[in-house]
Amino acid sequence: MDILEEIAIGVEKGDSNSVHALTEKALTQNISVGEILNNGLVAGMDVIGEKFKNNEVFIPEVLISAKAMKAGMELIKPLLAKANVESKGKVVIGTVKGDLHDIGKRIVAMLLEGAGFEVTDLGVDVSKEKFLEFVEKERADILGMSALLTTTMTYMKEVIEAVENANLKQDVRVIIGGAPITHSYAEEIKADGYAPDAASAIDLVKDLLKK
Amino acid sequence: MKDKYRLNIPRLNILSREKLELIHLSTLEVLRRTGVAVKEPKAVEIFKKGGCYIEGERVRIPENLVEWALRNTPPRITLSDRNGNPAMFLEENNVYFGTGSDTPNIVDLYTGERRITVLKDVENVSKVVDYLDEMSFLMCSGIASDVNSKISDIYHFEAMVNYSEKPIVFTAWDLENLKTIVEMAEVVAGGKERLKNSPFIALYTEPISPLQLAEEATQKLMLMAEKYLPVVFTPCLITGATGPVTIAGGLIQGNAEILAGYVLANLINEGTPFIYGGGIIAMDMATSIACYASSEFMLASAAFTDMARYYRLPMFSFAGCSDSSLYDQQASLEGALRILLSSLSGGNLVHDVGYIDSGLTTSFEQIIVSNEVIGMVRRITQGFEINEETMALDLIDKIGPGGEYLTSEHTLKHFKENWYSELISRVPYEKWEEEGKKDLGIKANEKARHILENHTPKPLEEKLKAELRKIVKSRDK
Ligand code: B12
Repeated sequence: MDILEEIAIGVEKGDSNSVHALTEKALTQNISVGEILNNGLVAGMDVIGEKFKNNEVFIPEVLISAKAMKAGMELIKPLLAKANVESKGKVVIGTVKGDLHDIGKRIVAMLLEGAGFEVTDLGVDVSKEKFLEFVEKERADILGMSALLTTTMTYMKEVIEAVENANLKQDVRVIIGGAPITHSYAEEIKADGYAPDAASAIDLVKDLLKK
Repeated sequence: MKDKYRLNIPRLNILSREKLELIHLSTLEVLRRTGVAVKEPKAVEIFKKGGCYIEGERVRIPENLVEWALRNTPPRITLSDRNGNPAMFLEENNVYFGTGSDTPNIVDLYTGERRITVLKDVENVSKVVDYLDEMSFLMCSGIASDVNSKISDIYHFEAMVNYSEKPIVFTAWDLENLKTIVEMAEVVAGGKERLKNSPFIALYTEPISPLQLAEEATQKLMLMAEKYLPVVFTPCLITGATGPVTIAGGLIQGNAEILAGYVLANLINEGTPFIYGGGIIAMDMATSIACYASSEFMLASAAFTDMARYYRLPMFSFAGCSDSSLYDQQASLEGALRILLSSLSGGNLVHDVGYIDSGLTTSFEQIIVSNEVIGMVRRITQGFEINEETMALDLIDKIGPGGEYLTSEHTLKHFKENWYSELISRVPYEKWEEEGKKDLGIKANEKARHILENHTPKPLEEKLKAELRKIVKSRDK
């Protein structure tokens, strides 16, 4: 079996130690970081992602794979820029001001990371200033907002307006989610996308970045 | 107070004495070793004075302090109705049911469509709860989307107190709004002291798993303790996400979160009317839904109720709720199982009746059907008498082999002890056809409409009503 395949299988199994060791080994064998990333780490996550969508594996299994992928990513991350390998995209995500619901947003963030995106999770109770600061700083492609309260979901609109006012609207796609959020609300406040759960959030981000 | 609220058959005990002790001691260990993060500096100060070990916002609570607080449990917490008459004795095995709060959606009673909730819906649910025999207390069910969202909690309270006389468990968005709501309750009760003496309200507030006391939630808890008013402090721990995936681990962590709040309340005011309980909720690891009716959640609720009994604190439990997207067979079976189990375990303040869609939607049909199920279950938990009269040996001898009991005095005297339902169908098939082939959901819908169209709750005195209006208006800017 070739080493990239082994890495992919390590990711699939969620075996951080072996992925770390194999990635290290691959680097000494002068395999390009681009290949390690795409044909090893991401390839493994793609298999798991597909299985998740088909209800063959569950969230903890996907997250353990994402963790294994991260173990490999840590090694190649510093080399990616030098090798001119572009990241799949940068995501800044957080739960909006006044809202402390954390776990749904975390799942989305971790799964996006697993799918190969660079994710900055700003946590909960995030102000529009902080969202903007990080969108600019990270040069984010995607801004993700989560809200679970009727009283806080309106804040998403304020953030979108702030993004517009800062002339960032053409650089960053805004996506929203959380239990009370709907498609029509996303349209109403001019978000670029909405997803009802984590699995569809991944597809949404992939779709938006294709365009 | 009716006898029916009391459990008259042996309580379902799922934890042995040894297991209760083990969970208690393990909880003490978590509080001492890991502690909780307290985001409200005033609370940290109080914990510090109480003898806790403080590192920044991290508060580690010594065992003795918890044990001290547990010696202060109020023997009985009485919730009154709007008129100040005792309505619920939260203690031992008295079981009372009520609605849930804050769903963003409701199934429209007339169109059958799921739509966003408005203030009128909160009034309507209050009316229905006011009418229904087995609903003992009221929560707002929905979130009103057509009022100033910063103070929708205040509008909910006004609607509830106007449309029902039953005790109210309420949520408040922040400390300011809570103060306003308490002020309104004081107006209704006829003053601060009266409210304190016979409260008809309890606040719902919560810790944040894992092991955090958030700023606002803590401020709310503190205000209720200062005022010596009933407060429910209920974690909503999701096993495998915000707590260990195992029920035992979830129970211990959740218990530590509640007891941290309980210690704080007692450091402020010994014997604060504190209501224990909460959710240890399993997450569906395929869909990420936090399930309101999983077997694991029901089992955890039963265990939590055992802990509540062990501490002699009232238990805030769950029933009549479902993960189904609509009112259907799943909704009624999940609702019913939860009602049966929370009754058998003797949960005291049992809420969330009427929730479907994992707490995102309110269904009148679910409330009405749950009311029937509660009646049915109460007949079970009432047990039956065994005495000369009920054993009826003389009668058995008198009727003898081959006779009949239909015409005996004894039958006439006792047959009404059996429970009769308004909605559960027990008619021959053809009769059912003649009556329009109605299933349970249709009958529940009709009953809800009937209540809304015909029931007039006893109105609040005009003077009080006007005063409440004035308070709400003063906050609506
Ligand atoms: C757990 C919980 C809590 C916990 C949160 C703990 C934590 N650390 O996160 C605690 C106890 C703190 C809590 C507090 C409150 N809660 Co709460 N809570 C819940 C509950 C039961 C489950 C939420 C959850 O975690 N679900 C599991 C996760 C995985 O699902 P999720 O968050 O929906 O996320 C998924 C999708 O929505 C989507 N998604 C999420 N974010 C994003 C973002 C993007 C960009 C995308 C694309 C997708 C996406 O993908 C996720 C993964 O599949 C819900 C009920 C419900 N059905 O949602 C109520 C609920 C959300 N809470 C509610 C309320 C009212 C409150 C309180 C106001 C109660 C009170 N008065 O004290 C407080 C508010 C505190 C605050 N300031 O935030 C209401 C909200 C009603 C409304 N619309 O306003 C609900 C619906 C329950 C109810 N009917 O009362 N709550």
